[in-house]
Amino acid sequence: MKKRLGLVIDQERCIGCEACTVACKIENHGIKGWIRVKTQNAPRKDTPDGRFPDLRMHFLPVLCNHCENPPCVDACPVEALTKRNDGLVFLEDEKCDGCRICLEACPYDAIIFNPKKEKAEKCNLCAHRIDRGLEPFCVICCEGQAIHIGDLNDPAGRISQLVSKPATFQRNPETGTNPSVYYRPPQQPRGL
Amino acid sequence: MASNQKTRPVRTVCPAHCGIDACGILAHVKEDRVVKVAPADFPNPRYRRICLRGLSSLEITYHPDRLKYPMKRAGERGSGNFERITWDEALGSIAEKFKAIATKYGWPAVAWVLGGPGAGTTKFGAYLRLASLTRSTRVSAWGYGDSALPCGSRVLFGSQFPYAFLFGSLFSSSSAPEILVVWGANPGESQPLNLMRPIMDAKEKGALLIVIDPRFTVTASKADAYLGVKPGTDTALSLGLMNVIFRENFQDDAFIQKHTVGPYLVRTDTGEFLRAKDIGLQDGMDYIIWDIVSESPRSRSTANVKPATSGTFTVNGVACKTSLQLLMDLAAEYPPARTAEITGISSDIITRLALRIGSAKSVTFVTHMGFTRTYHGDISLRALGTVAAVTGNVSATFRGGHLPAVLNWKPFLHADPQKPSYTRMGILQLYDAVTSGKPYPVKAVWFSFINFLNQCADSGKIANEFFPELEFIVSTDLFMTPTARYADILLPVCSYLEFSDLIPFPYPYLQLQQKVMTPLYESKSDVDIAAELAGRLGFSEYFDGGEESFIDLILASEDPSLEGITREKLKQGPMPLKFIPKMDQEIDIPFSTPSGKIEIYSEKLRGVGQALPVFLEHLETPLKPEGKKYPLAFIQGHSRFRTHSMYANVTSLLEFNPEPVLEINPRDAQERNIADEDPVTVFNDRARTTLRARVTEGVRPGVVNISEGWWIDQFKEGSVNHLTHAVMNPVQEKIYEPNMHMNDVAVEVIKYQEVES
Repeated sequence: MKKRLGLVIDQERCIGCEACTVACKIENHGIKGWIRVKTQNAPRKDTPDGRFPDLRMHFLPVLCNHCENPPCVDACPVEALTKRNDGLVFLEDEKCDGCRICLEACPYDAIIFNPKKEKAEKCNLCAHRIDRGLEPFCVICCEGQAIHIGDLNDPAGRISQLVSKPATFQRNPETGTNPSVYYRPPQQPRGL
Repeated sequence: MASNQKTRPVRTVCPAHCGIDACGILAHVKEDRVVKVAPADFPNPRYRRICLRGLSSLEITYHPDRLKYPMKRAGERGSGNFERITWDEALGSIAEKFKAIATKYGWPAVAWVLGGPGAGTTKFGAYLRLASLTRSTRVSAWGYGDSALPCGSRVLFGSQFPYAFLFGSLFSSSSAPEILVVWGANPGESQPLNLMRPIMDAKEKGALLIVIDPRFTVTASKADAYLGVKPGTDTALSLGLMNVIFRENFQDDAFIQKHTVGPYLVRTDTGEFLRAKDIGLQDGMDYIIWDIVSESPRSRSTANVKPATSGTFTVNGVACKTSLQLLMDLAAEYPPARTAEITGISSDIITRLALRIGSAKSVTFVTHMGFTRTYHGDISLRALGTVAAVTGNVSATFRGGHLPAVLNWKPFLHADPQKPSYTRMGILQLYDAVTSGKPYPVKAVWFSFINFLNQCADSGKIANEFFPELEFIVSTDLFMTPTARYADILLPVCSYLEFSDLIPFPYPYLQLQQKVMTPLYESKSDVDIAAELAGRLGFSEYFDGGEESFIDLILASEDPSLEGITREKLKQGPMPLKFIPKMDQEIDIPFSTPSGKIEIYSEKLRGVGQALPVFLEHLETPLKPEGKKYPLAFIQGHSRFRTHSMYANVTSLLEFNPEPVLEINPRDAQERNIADEDPVTVFNDRARTTLRARVTEGVRPGVVNISEGWWIDQFKEGSVNHLTHAVMNPVQEKIYEPNMHMNDVAVEVIKYQEVES
């Protein structure tokens, strides 16, 4: 079966430290890190939701979803965006002409415009590392050990097992793009 | 354009003072330039790690503001005006000045103020060796926030650190504890960061995670239950928990008998332990228990006795209680309702937590330094440790307690065994030595690994009363920090990629911090600086061979744990200690306390009324804020964007977190007509500090927080430590070393108004 590389990000293990964002910028030299950490339902980043002391604070790292049906690939007029055989949605810097149509097409706001280069940028899942048998840099730099990579089409693989656990979710599945980035939700507090 | 030359990987270590995690770093080097840093491998993959600061560390090495050459002051102290001089002139003038001061006041008037060397060893050792040879003053930096925890730990456990006893099992246990209580610590963002993975592993295996903190931290966000305690009331909370535990008879009597002074009789007339000689028994100073079989007093070493754990007894006409009984009597004064009133935690939650702790098979308590940065922080630690002890949740003795204990520190602490060494002084005691000449005058200071003005208590006092009394100030640094501005001679040091050091972390590994690149500009390593100064003071033979010989020297302790570990082998990668004691087994050696037991009752502190972990109101933090001039408790959490004041000038981290903010609860903000983002002034009698408000539910009402480490020049006015105080706790001074109580400060906050001139 064809490979479908994807990620499972475990919100329970994510401590919101943003090492992934810094790591991405170092590895890929983007205008900013292509993986960014949101604080869910919060008035602002790194602040909780609720009323003291009844509070919640959950972190959600977001990046290109490497969708099965990527609207950005269809939208790109110059074929700078392609769906690779291993499932990666790959943006080829050289081919991009900076038209920004992909930014509109992506339902996840995952594509960033770099005004210095006048080109679009996004997570390529560190394809240059994957092709050398290495894990993406954000995965190895994750302090919480919250990001898992693997082949979603390998039913025996670790990430397929994580995906099959109850409550695993994709962001906005209604878009119909079938993201290859899955999330494990945080554990509900059990109380005293 | 980048050259086609291939990059070569060099393994080194980030030695930052972050929690001594000492992440292994793989530096990618192209020619003589480091182009990337990545986490390096460990034999156990759990230790492969890096953080956002370590990832940004090249921005320190290649920062445009790095100090590039030695300088001497060319304007008023603090003005930042300097002129370039040569190393020869710098070190020559330091040697001359030190000798002149020593001639006039004696060598102890020269003080080495060495802050946190992080995980480094030889760079610290070099200055200690010089202090030892010159018999000058070595200023211990424990007191700048970190001495109350050892004070408490020394009294209770007889050890510098309580960590192994309380949570050592997290490092070696295969099974998770039933309950994990993280109390006054935020390992998700700060020390001990190396615990966050094991904590989350334990939670995954089923441990119930409880977090107690005035702020809803990252760690709290992972908790099954969060208790938002009032700052400085932790001892009351511990006593409240014990109240319920004793009421329900949930204490672990077997553990108390075996490992604590609980059954030892205390004379109610003097507060001293009853001794064999007091009742005419032969064993002299031996402790006495009440044997419930023979219904008589016996010395503790008597065979076949069954000691009473609690109770009141009259022995030879002397009224006595077991020390556990005294603790029970104290805890009886803290029923849940009263404890709730003091701590701000509901009585229902207190009761339920106590019942959970009391009935659990195993509880692991995690705490750290911040918890003890209140006036009676040493007692807070003792109280928490006492909860652990009476419930039998103190695990195995971590022999040596800490890996550096197996290193050969003698040649640094005592360079010439034939002669006396340096005089040791606590950092808070240095304030008096400089400003009032007590116990003796200090006239020259050497600052290394420290941003003294920025990070020590009462910055205004330092600038206005302390610095002016000094005849000579030397500072080694990478940057023109707020402290460096006050130096008379300022020396540029290497970043971690530019020199070698031995790193005895993360436990149980040793690593080599390898020099990866040629030092930039004219910067030198601390070992080289110390060596060159030593030459000018007549001690060059003690510094032959530089960093490498020091690494060999510190490894030569003959401790069997270090057998076979050499500098050469460490170049290949980290090496574990040869003997790694298990930390999840029963205690097998005596505690280093006077009794050899966990001292839930400390005889030597009876004179100051602190034999038991009594709850004493703190210095400034108001228990009842109503009507107070300064009603808000001011605390300073640690931020993941900085390691103390390091990284405060790193651009990519400032993009995430551009400026200091005051965290204030919406209820307090509303009362003061403060909106999110408003500029506000935090003030007390010592200072005004102005910055933006962050109105958030993440901090308890009545408490405000500014994360520590921002540089003074990053505030509109004032700074964190302009608000703190340098008051000494004499009991801590007696036990070990007095601490700065940064989390025991009262303030008021108003909307900022331009001051009319």
